[in-house]
Amino acid sequence: MSTVLASAPAAPVAPPPRDRRFSLPILLLVIAGGLVALAAVRAITGANDLTSHGAVRAALQSAVPIGLAGLGGLWAERAGVVNIGLEGQMIFGTWFGAWAGFHWGPWAGVLAAVAGGALGGLLHALATVTFGVDHIISGVAITILAGGATRYLSQLAFQGLPGGGVTQSPPVPELPRLSVPGASVLDRVERAHWFLASDLAGILRGALTDVSTLTIVAALLVPLTFWVLWRTAFGLRLRSVGENPHAAESLGVNVYRYKYYGVVISGALAGLGGAFLSMVASSIYRESQTGGRGYIGLAAMIFGNWRPGGLASGALLFGYTDALQLRGGSQSVHALLLFLAFVLAAVGLWQVLRGRRTVGAVAIGAAVLVGLWYATTDAIPAEFVQAAPHITTLVVLALASQRLRMPAADGQRYRRGG
Amino acid sequence: MSTDAAPAAPAAGADEPPAVQLRGITKRFPGVVANHDIDLSVRRGTIHAIVGENGAGKSTLMKTLYGMHRPDSGEILIDGDRIVFHSPQQAISAGIGMVHQHFMLADNFTVLENIVLGAEKLHGIGAAAARRIRELSRQYGLGVDPEALVEDLGVGDRQRVEILKVLYRGARVLILDEPTAVLVPQEVDELFENLRQLTREGLTVIFISHKLHEVLAVADAITVIRRGTTVAAVDPGEVTPRQLAALMVGSELPSPEARESTVTDVPVLAVAGLSVRTAGGRSLVEDVSFTIHRGEVVGIAGVEGNGQAELIEAIMGMRPSTGRVTLDGVDVSERGTRKRREAGLGYIPADRHRQGLLLDAPLWENRMLGHQTEAPNARGWLLNNRGARRDTERIVAEYDVRTPGADVPAAALSGGNQQKLIVGREMSHTPKVLLAAHPTRGVDIGAQAAIWEHIKRARREGMGVLLISADLDELIGLSDTLKVIFRGRFVAEADPAAVTPEQLGLAMTGCG
Ligand SMILES: Nc1ncnc2c1ncn2[C@@H]1O[C@H](COP(=O)(O)OP(=O)(O)OP(=O)(O)O)[C@@H](O)[C@H]1O
Ligand SMILES: [Mg+2]
Repeated sequence: MSTVLASAPAAPVAPPPRDRRFSLPILLLVIAGGLVALAAVRAITGANDLTSHGAVRAALQSAVPIGLAGLGGLWAERAGVVNIGLEGQMIFGTWFGAWAGFHWGPWAGVLAAVAGGALGGLLHALATVTFGVDHIISGVAITILAGGATRYLSQLAFQGLPGGGVTQSPPVPELPRLSVPGASVLDRVERAHWFLASDLAGILRGALTDVSTLTIVAALLVPLTFWVLWRTAFGLRLRSVGENPHAAESLGVNVYRYKYYGVVISGALAGLGGAFLSMVASSIYRESQTGGRGYIGLAAMIFGNWRPGGLASGALLFGYTDALQLRGGSQSVHALLLFLAFVLAAVGLWQVLRGRRTVGAVAIGAAVLVGLWYATTDAIPAEFVQAAPHITTLVVLALASQRLRMPAADGQRYRRGG
Repeated sequence: MSTDAAPAAPAAGADEPPAVQLRGITKRFPGVVANHDIDLSVRRGTIHAIVGENGAGKSTLMKTLYGMHRPDSGEILIDGDRIVFHSPQQAISAGIGMVHQHFMLADNFTVLENIVLGAEKLHGIGAAAARRIRELSRQYGLGVDPEALVEDLGVGDRQRVEILKVLYRGARVLILDEPTAVLVPQEVDELFENLRQLTREGLTVIFISHKLHEVLAVADAITVIRRGTTVAAVDPGEVTPRQLAALMVGSELPSPEARESTVTDVPVLAVAGLSVRTAGGRSLVEDVSFTIHRGEVVGIAGVEGNGQAELIEAIMGMRPSTGRVTLDGVDVSERGTRKRREAGLGYIPADRHRQGLLLDAPLWENRMLGHQTEAPNARGWLLNNRGARRDTERIVAEYDVRTPGADVPAAALSGGNQQKLIVGREMSHTPKVLLAAHPTRGVDIGAQAAIWEHIKRARREGMGVLLISADLDELIGLSDTLKVIFRGRFVAEADPAAVTPEQLGLAMTGCG
């Protein structure tokens, strides 16, 4: 063979790196590291609100609707339909929740919100799946429609009622709240402001006491979604129509039907998120109450790489910055700068260790800049504080988007037999 | 050579009803009769080959048998029983399975998920299913790991996954539409070994191929289809490739041999230190350098997935890369794809559905793609639809694209005819360098010869060619210089005048 084949010196080739998803131990390590860093920042800056139970409770409060919208986005996009109408389906949820809640009690409200959202989802499915309308156009249309329809419905249903009007509902009865018995002893530890111990106590207390039942439902929906989508035949089929509908069709999966399932469930989840807004986060329906949370839910889903666990962490991250901002924490947000500097430095070091010098250097450079910003100022401009959650989302998305993988046929029109 | 339905049936199985029998099948599409009065009889436990030129109606016939559409007339008999299929599900439950010409796999799913999809009732989607897959894989010697991600698999493995998918559903009759088009010789041998194993276990295999020597080597019976109808049923023992070719298209078996050398010493494309990485930093192409001269064909041999596709895409400017690309003395490294095309790069993509065509657009719009700024498709800033349409008709005639007209969508053309359209489009702009990935993939032998002739003529006139092909005869026959790519690097050079496909195949798997 040597006469005809001249071999170049064979260079050793490294085997391609395997799965880059975090393994459980690494994930736990990262979480623990984050906690320690947060505790350290609190100790250094004295911004005790960073890990107070109040902040944690507010963070959960603000994370739940985003997380539910994100879950909604996940169900639709896993079935290959981009549901930018989540915002509109959430609006339906807020309205129907308050309306049925006012008349027949809070649980009826929850059911009505879910049904209202599902109806919005059905509309989106009808447009995108059956009629092949562009997903974005249909989604935007549904959001616009929801805004107009709820105002009209308010006129019919709320005007004249005590406290009700064209833009808001009368007060809605509350859903029950639960506490883990005995968790209040954490109070003492939290107030002692010990390094780490008090931080943990604050976080636990915030998460275990005075929790709305709807929050618990939302938290359970995350593992449930994972289980259904990744561990059941139904979920496999649903995901297959988002990855390769032609292959699914050729194996006897009714692609249209599973897209409908995905989008209707998506709308139902968004509706549930809406119910949370009008019945738990406040006890009244107000116009524009959703405030773009449907879109932020989509961002959380993208941040979470189209997976329930990742999406939940995205929602929590956003909820947390939002909570600090809402609690008037110019001081807290300022302290977050130091935390951000820590995180950036850690990311930079990690990248350098993995041999990616430039990315690492950029991250460390950014860490130094943010650190300097922290050191040379005492507060952050108010406008900036308000924008902090959105800026966080943007930055995190920009960093994460490198390694994201959406369902292969996401957002594409599907025609049977085409 | 005989024209009766079941040649050389052994006495033992003579009174057993055929596993599959098609009688008088006719299938029309708007403007075309794809199948006309087709008869086919396949004995149990045999490998039955179907051959015929592009657009002869082979895929259409198999889709009919698999229940993907219903014939306008004619009947299907399975084991002697008349059956009407309304959907693939019914075909599957009747024990028929099909591996399509274009793979039907979800890349981001595991092998297991791809296999159990739609058949979850059989063994669930968990451990029991994995066990069953391992068992089948062992029984038929397929060597498939149910936990692997399909994305990480090469073509050979993907094909075995497709076969397993069908076996998992209990198929007794396997239809394979051009299974060898993308495989290298070793993989083809493995596939045929797998198929023989299947028939030993009593299964029946129907396969379509354009590679006649393969057909003759592996098939127990051959049916020839021409222009939508069966013209002969032959016994592979009694025909030569030449006779078979004559039956198919009425022409001689072509050879890609490029005899006289037209290589000059004027470099037309120089690539220096080109590297491509994934977003995650994995190296796909590593520091590749080479030069193509005017009138030279540089062939790249490699098992699919070793960086050749990425290399071509990087040269086209479709994929971010580092390194220098010089086209006819001009550094185009910083230019986008359109500028590079305008500067004289032509491109025949490996996957015509992903890159070469808009399947839903008419042929004349497809004719404009990639050349939308040049005559005859454009006049200044405006598109010249009439010019494009007229030129499409010229391409259709010159490249023998079988189509009812220039206004049908590209999806209505058979695979091989789509390919001819792409080749015609690219050659029409007399590129300085043609990047050709599998230029004759899925093309019948007659059209293959025509495409080779077009490439050779352009080469004589000074075009340089970078050629990738899974067909090693084509690669060796056309190339002036051969390089072997393995895991993103050039690992060997071969002399096309002396190397055999077997030696090349070995070098490609990294054993050279
Ligand atoms: N969906 C369709 N609509 C209209 N015409 C079609 C359709 N599918 C196939 N045809 C036509 O039917 C004829 C037979 O096509 P078919 O795909 O069966 O050919 P083939 O023998 O498989 O060719 P190849 O070897 O190129 O794959 C062709 O003329 C093709 O244009
Ligand atoms: Mg075909």
